[in-house]
Parts: sequence; C-alpha cells; structure tokens
Amino acid sequence: MILRANGIRKRFESRWVLRDASIELQSGECVLLQGANGSGKTTLAQILATLLAPDRGVVEFDGVPALQKRQATRRAIGFASHRPLLYPGLSPLENLSFFGRLAGVDGADTRAADLLARFGLTVFARTPVERFSRGMLQRVALIRALLPSPRLLILDEPYAGLDDEGTGTLNGLLSEANGRGAAILLVAHERERPGALVGRFCRMHEGAVESSS
Amino acid sequence: MILIDVIRKDLRLHARDARFLATLLLFSASCVLILSVAFGPSFQDPAREAAATLWAALFFAGVLGLTRSLELEGESGGGDAVRLSGADPYAIFLGKTIANFLLLAGVFVFVLPIASVFFDVGDLEALPGVLGVAALTLLGYAAWGTLFAALARGLKARELLLSVLLFPSLVPLWIGAVKCTHALWSGGSIEPVGDWIKVIAVADVVGLALAAFLYEYIQEASE
Repeated sequence: MILRANGIRKRFESRWVLRDASIELQSGECVLLQGANGSGKTTLAQILATLLAPDRGVVEFDGVPALQKRQATRRAIGFASHRPLLYPGLSPLENLSFFGRLAGVDGADTRAADLLARFGLTVFARTPVERFSRGMLQRVALIRALLPSPRLLILDEPYAGLDDEGTGTLNGLLSEANGRGAAILLVAHERERPGALVGRFCRMHEGAVESSS
Repeated sequence: MILIDVIRKDLRLHARDARFLATLLLFSASCVLILSVAFGPSFQDPAREAAATLWAALFFAGVLGLTRSLELEGESGGGDAVRLSGADPYAIFLGKTIANFLLLAGVFVFVLPIASVFFDVGDLEALPGVLGVAALTLLGYAAWGTLFAALARGLKARELLLSVLLFPSLVPLWIGAVKCTHALWSGGSIEPVGDWIKVIAVADVVGLALAAFLYEYIQEASE
C-alpha cells in the first residue's frame, strides 16, 4: 500500500468540508475520484499531497505518517491542482529546471526539455508563462508534477483546458508512469478522457469517499 | 545547489519586473529628498541627519522589496510548489534571505551617493566602514524580513501585517546602523559605538538561528 488516508476531517471556518474521508492506493493502480462540485475532492487531494494538514485523521505514505517524513514524502509525490503552481515571470524551462533541481532530479534541464517537446511546447520554452493560454499553462503544470518521476501522482482536474492532443499526451505519460509502478489518483469529472487507464472509480459525497468500484 | 537556485530565481523575477524596480528606487530616492528638504537647508549635524535619512529610506524601501518577494510566492502558487518539492526548508530560507539581502544592497548602493550629495557628507576614507555596517545591518534585515514574510504569507492584509510585525523587531538594527554610520561620517572612530556593532551582529545571529528552528513550522502553519 503506497498511500492510505483514514478518517480525514477538515473544517474551513464552521463548515466541515471532509467528514471521515478514507482512501487507499496501491502501487501501479490508477484511481479516478469523482464527485459533485463542493463535495471535498480538491481539499482531499491537497491533504493527500501534504499541502494542507487535516484537522483529524492520518495520511500514511508507505505505512509511515506523511507528516513524520514530510520532505521524503513530498519528493515521492507529484501534484497538480487548479492553480498552476508556477512562477508567472519565468519561462517553462526556467520553472521546470528550478523545480526539478529543488526536487533533486538528475538532468532536470534535459528531462524538462524532453517533456516540453512531448507536449509540443518547445517553441514556447523560453516565453514567460504569464503569457500562456489556460491550456498551455495546464501542460506546463502537468509537466512540473511529472518531472521527478514520482511514485505517486495526484492530479486535480488534469484535463481542464487540454485539447485532444494534450489529453493523448497526458494519458501516454500517465500510462508510462503506471507501467513503472507509480500510483495515480485522478480527480476529474470526466470518465471518458482517462479512458482505459483507470482501474478503479471512487465517488465523493458530502466530504466522504462513498463508494469504490 | 538549492540555495543558489533560489537566489537566482528570486533575482531573475525581480530583474524582469521593471515597474517594481523603478518604484523601489524612486521611493527610496524620494525619501532621501523629502527628508533632506525637511532637515535643510542649513543642517545642524549633517552626519547624524544623513545617517538617519539613509537608514529610514532603506528600511521603508525594504518593506516594498519584502512585500514583492511575498507576492512572488503567492502568485499562481509558486511558493506552494517550492514546499511540495521536498527541498530543505532552511536552504530555501537562506536562499530567499540572500536574494533579499542582495536586493537591499542594490538599493543601498543607489541611495548612498544621493544621501551623500544632498547632505554633503561622507568621504572615501569612511566608505569601507559604512559598507561593512550596511552589510551587517542588511543581512539582519533580510533574515528577519524573510522570516516575517513567511509568517504573514497565509494571512489576510499580509502586506500591512508584515510592516506591523517587522518594524518593532528591526528597531535595534536601525538604531545601531544610524549610530555607526553617524560615527563614521562625522570623522570619528567607530569604537565609541562598538557596542552597537555587537547589537547588530547579535540581531543577525538571532534572526538566522531562529529561522533554523522556526522557518519550516511557520511555512507550514501559515497555510
């Protein structure tokens, strides 16, 4: 078991956004987490990625509480969210090289250039991302998450803004990651776009992961 | 090396923001101009008034720099991505501190000749001493400023709170810098105000040491 979250509760002001949400992920599996707007998907994804701390409950990575070995856990997780998590004033290459080196990726520049080429962004590699469209920004954000070849990928709405070509490239990269044993949690509304990649579906309702199929 | 990467990233972002740099330099120059008019035209103790003006301009302009540094981390979640990279938080703190120090040093180099001309103080003999005092003071300013910027990051009205938190803790640095610069510019020895050098050095060490224990906690708690 690579990731186990048990009894996660999170409150923003007086509203409980998560109520005893629990989820598990095995190495090499791809899970699609769905749910209505406001059901708590994004909050759960942020907690699993260690961006937010839960009010109650435990997130374990490789059987160890994630907050106990925060840095090691973070190095093993690739996370993309609604926000691009990039510096707008830097180009994709500068952003990716910077984050790659921070994460200790060997040959970060080369790997960033390779991934930019796969997403068709080589021409824009040196343009500040603040000039990018939503879809282009999303591609760079996804590359940032994929760059360190993480053991766990948590991607919140990864298909937002992507065209068919971008969707195909992303699914190809996710399939490769899956193939080398990485676990993937996709938080998305669409069942169709990840296609055959998904091995298990989960649904969130009112702050809890209700069903798993 | 994480430290170098963070410094390079911050300075690159500052260098590309011409509007920010122009605001920073114009603001610091305006402070010196306004205070020189207020104290002049016949100065009672030009070395004292120039020292106070120089450091007031630097400390106020420094808040602009720290606020911009704070904004850079919030824009599009770059700061969150740095946290999620799993990099050593203290190396990130040191990188940001040195970047802020270099930014403040740049402002100092710009403002120093303006203050010297307007108040007609300073000579080349005193310059190495003044530069030494500036290096020590600005290091402390950058360390405390970076720490408080991390603290203010997750708060509403963070720019206002940054100033409110920062200025009281910088008082020893400010007084020490003014006393030492005054002593050097008035042609005397720095020895009578040697204790203030120690105060500045202690403030630097305390700021850097405190960050070693608290920066990661502050960074996580401020989200």
